[in-house]
Amino acid sequence: MTAVPALSVELETQSTRTFRHVLSVIVRDPLSLASTIVIILFILIAIFAYQVAPYPAEGAGKTNVANTMLAPSAGHILGADRLGRDMFSCVIMGARPALIVPIGVVVFAILIGAPLGAIAGYKGGWVDEVIMRITDLFLAFPSLLLAMAITSALGRGLQNAAIALIISWWPWYTRLVRGVTISLRERYFVEAARATGVRDSVIILRHILPNTISPILVQATVDLGTVILAMGGLAFLGLGTQPPAPDWGLMVSEGRDYILKQWWISTFPGIAIFIVVLAFNLLGDTLRDIFDPRQYR
Amino acid sequence: MNKKSLLFTFLMVAVLMLSACGPAATPTLAATQPPAPTKPPTPVPPKVLKIANTATFTTWDPVKSFSTEAAYMGNMYEQLLRINPPGSAEKFTPLLAERWESNADGTVWTFYLRPNVKFHDGEPLTADAVKMSIEAAADHGGASFIWWMLDSIEVVDDLTVKFNLTTSAPIDLIASSLYGAWIVSPKALEAAAADENYFETGIEAGTGPYMLESYKADQEIVLTRFDDYWGGWQPGQFDKVLVVIVGEAITQQQMLEGGQVDLVTRIPNENLDTFRNNPNYTVYVEPSFFNYVGFFNTLRPPLDNAMVRQALSYAIPYDDIITIAVKGLGTQSRGPVPAGVWPWSADVKQYTYDLTKARQLLADAGFPNGGFSLKLTYAAENDTEAAFAPLIKDSFAQLGVDVTIEPMLWSQQWALSKSDPANAQDMFLLLYWPTYSDAGSDNLWSMFYWTAKPFFNLSYWKNDQFMALVDEAIAKTVTDPATSQVKYIEAMNLLVDEAPGLFFFDTMAVFVIPTYIEGFKYNLNYPFTQYFFYQLRSTK
Amino acid sequence: MMRKLEFILRRLLSFIFVLIGVSVITFFLSRVVPTNAAALYIGPRARPEDIERVSKQLGLDRPLPVQYAIYMRDLLHGDLGTSIGTKRPVLTEIVDRAPASLELLFTGMFLAALIGVPLGVLSARWQGKPLDVAVRTISIVGVSMPAFYLGLLLQILFFRNLDWLPLAGRVSTDLRFTNPIESITNFLILDALLTRNWVALKNAAIHLVLPALTLAAYPIGLIARMTRATMLEVLEQDYIRTARAYGIKDFIITYLYALKNAISPTLTVIGLTIAFALTGTFFVELIFTWPGLGLFTVRSLLNVDYPAIMGMTLFGATAYVIINLIVDVLQAWIDPRISLK
Repeated sequence: MTAVPALSVELETQSTRTFRHVLSVIVRDPLSLASTIVIILFILIAIFAYQVAPYPAEGAGKTNVANTMLAPSAGHILGADRLGRDMFSCVIMGARPALIVPIGVVVFAILIGAPLGAIAGYKGGWVDEVIMRITDLFLAFPSLLLAMAITSALGRGLQNAAIALIISWWPWYTRLVRGVTISLRERYFVEAARATGVRDSVIILRHILPNTISPILVQATVDLGTVILAMGGLAFLGLGTQPPAPDWGLMVSEGRDYILKQWWISTFPGIAIFIVVLAFNLLGDTLRDIFDPRQYR
Repeated sequence: MNKKSLLFTFLMVAVLMLSACGPAATPTLAATQPPAPTKPPTPVPPKVLKIANTATFTTWDPVKSFSTEAAYMGNMYEQLLRINPPGSAEKFTPLLAERWESNADGTVWTFYLRPNVKFHDGEPLTADAVKMSIEAAADHGGASFIWWMLDSIEVVDDLTVKFNLTTSAPIDLIASSLYGAWIVSPKALEAAAADENYFETGIEAGTGPYMLESYKADQEIVLTRFDDYWGGWQPGQFDKVLVVIVGEAITQQQMLEGGQVDLVTRIPNENLDTFRNNPNYTVYVEPSFFNYVGFFNTLRPPLDNAMVRQALSYAIPYDDIITIAVKGLGTQSRGPVPAGVWPWSADVKQYTYDLTKARQLLADAGFPNGGFSLKLTYAAENDTEAAFAPLIKDSFAQLGVDVTIEPMLWSQQWALSKSDPANAQDMFLLLYWPTYSDAGSDNLWSMFYWTAKPFFNLSYWKNDQFMALVDEAIAKTVTDPATSQVKYIEAMNLLVDEAPGLFFFDTMAVFVIPTYIEGFKYNLNYPFTQYFFYQLRSTK
Repeated sequence: MMRKLEFILRRLLSFIFVLIGVSVITFFLSRVVPTNAAALYIGPRARPEDIERVSKQLGLDRPLPVQYAIYMRDLLHGDLGTSIGTKRPVLTEIVDRAPASLELLFTGMFLAALIGVPLGVLSARWQGKPLDVAVRTISIVGVSMPAFYLGLLLQILFFRNLDWLPLAGRVSTDLRFTNPIESITNFLILDALLTRNWVALKNAAIHLVLPALTLAAYPIGLIARMTRATMLEVLEQDYIRTARAYGIKDFIITYLYALKNAISPTLTVIGLTIAFALTGTFFVELIFTWPGLGLFTVRSLLNVDYPAIMGMTLFGATAYVIINLIVDVLQAWIDPRISLK
């Protein structure tokens, strides 16, 4: 009798079913569809930035003195900044730190936080206590404040800002996964697995974690919006990406002195941040409605 | 605060929000004239000068002062004398000293003090006060190095003080310095000797026309007129000065346009046209003693090779840098001495932007296609450096030299440069200004004279010939200025040839003054005291 | 009752533990800082001899654990160190600037609740209709807009283009000479009120509008959404249907019954949004040159003023923990059904 394999097969089919269900809901709701398209579009732009940008070198930071402060015009539809760099290319190249890095941050936060949460929830006892105390400790700081303090300590830069954000964000996933784990712990299939002598680590890996995927996914989608805002904020303050590397938050900050006349330097990167975050929030809303319309963080 | 008062506050705020929303009947920001009082008739409101400044106080201690607080120090404190802008009828304006003289070889200087001058705390100005102030500065001042040649100070009588030097030096120039030359009340100096942080609570003890009335850290400073000021007061001068600390240039600009302030200290050069075309403002563009310099780490190959440094000097797009970084408001430097200050000379060489020559020199030096990389650091707070560092990077890239740009907080950049040169930066961008108007003993000496522990010699360059020339020139400054100048020119040309550093440009100082403010004159010898409030009058 | 006491006690204990941990973390962070704190203390032209002298003076040459022990001892005496930037005790700086930030925060959160709750209620009441869509759009725009960008836009729109509202600061520069506000609590609105200084009151109030609105954008979005969701849930409940069946007027049902029950989760959200509002103050205070804790923190971070950074981080975390504690306790008090886990 292989109750375990049969049940896990059942769970697997369930997840494919859910995936298709999610897709169909998204496709039918115009806002969610638009958001998903925008996200995919931006991610593609970020990946293929060098191909998409009309002046990729400028986007990466190469100067073009002749075009300093050029207004939006033919050839440079979003104008140029103080160093003559094409704003359109800058915004495209800026998609990389704006999207890829936050995705990386969230992924790492999950990779650190989720297993910790699963272990804490599953084992209980003092392991749980210790992990939860540490989690509470990090959660005691408003996320951005902690990130700012860490960035200031490590030194400014994109890398350190990312590390700071990972450190600030992992506790949320620990708490989330722990909650799910605790409710799953008592379910019969887990009991059954334990009864048949399956090792704890296997149980966690094969039965518990797969069931945390949907709440994590919902959380992650919304978190991405927040992390993108946080990265932009750190760059705006000067703690994140350093010039001349491209970054939307940094561009808004650099263009601030000229916002009265050469408004395009700050405006377009700001709009870009807004659109991307909006898309993630809308998608997150939809996912939340699908998976747990009652759960709010 | 308990819940009830909290609730009450919210309700009141809500009511006010609703009543205050919508177009204001009269914009509260346009008028700088105080609105009609709603209370019973009050005495004539004080004439207030409102200024927005980015600079806050690093320290209130006039002895330790060595930074941007000079903007205020110059109005609260005075030196013995003040140096006038180049081209003035007199070289100096007497302040606390009425007249002065030196002996033939410039080793003994005597200053005759102005009688009946009082400090803000009531103490009289005496030779003792001068002696105490200068000795304190020489001992532990932020700019104590300017007094290196001081042997002793003698009090001849109450109003006469004698400086005895170990070697000849222009004390008239040194005593007019922006730092380390303030005359401070002896009572305050004694208190400071007992308590290091005496001044930091916001205490000042000068003789200047304005006194400190109140101070909110990082927010605002209010100065009020010192009625007993020896210079006397005329109608139209300001009773009070309000300084609001505003870090962002764009906010300052808008405050000026909106009438919230009368004067500002930072407007982005790109936005000057707004004011040039506005008849309510005059835009002054003046030469200044600020310049931008770069240091090569001459201890690290391949920058230890003079030919490589020369090649790189030909690879700097000087004109583009000036165009982009300061919107054309600058001139390419001739060496590290800014134009207009001793011992500048038009006979000092300059590099041009010539990539062909650069490539040739690099090839001759053994680096035909570049092939090395350099780390360039600059102060992250400095927008100008942030603007032209990428231009250097791009230009060097054309030679095959890869530059990594690392913006750092000034103090971090500074600390890195003092660490082991093997780990330090390759190129260091610096904004410089001389402490007092002798850029031979300041700029040339400070920046390129070798010392065991580098102060500003961040190229770590050691050249005996240069040092000998500068030594001789400094020694002869007072006794034989002609020879001194010749030696300086030789030294500067040697410097340019050996290229331990890059000499970018001298910046111009820009001021936007509303037409109702009269009396503004920039004294470039005091780069951080942009405004001498005493000179200003309002015609409103 | 015992359970509640036990709950509070447990929370207090964990609160203390968390505070200690926070102090360790902040201390560690600021000592890892690579810059030379002594050099910064002196100014941009610090000389090597002075750096050494000031280093000793600041105690930077002692081993780390000793430095921490000294720090904790000072902390328990209320000494958070001396700000390198202003040369005054950090605690003084915090106390001086707290009213400005608190005034901004209160106003912002008040606006957020004032606007957000009714929007959420209306949106739930007219679910599916254009009003609902409009509210949901506003909400999601609010939580997606970067605070620094919104501040800039509002400044340009309302100051530059329309000239309706002031640019920056808590009051006009003129005010301190024409109608100075007597400083009682340092809450300008309150002080002006108490001293019947109507000119100043109006001045301070209009200076609050833009910063508070910028700060409130995110919370408005969050609160509106939460209120809407909870209201929707509550409106489906049996007792609501019963009330409707009895013919009690729609208006009363919606606003009285449902809202009363929606308060608890809304409180949770308000507690959550305070975290966002706290971090939002960094940007809002920077853009509007608002002399509060946010601006102080940003400037300290950029200048690596380590005592100030440590002090503010500790203060921020402590404040946040206290607020959460209060919200938790309030919730437990209001709704005994909520588990006291």
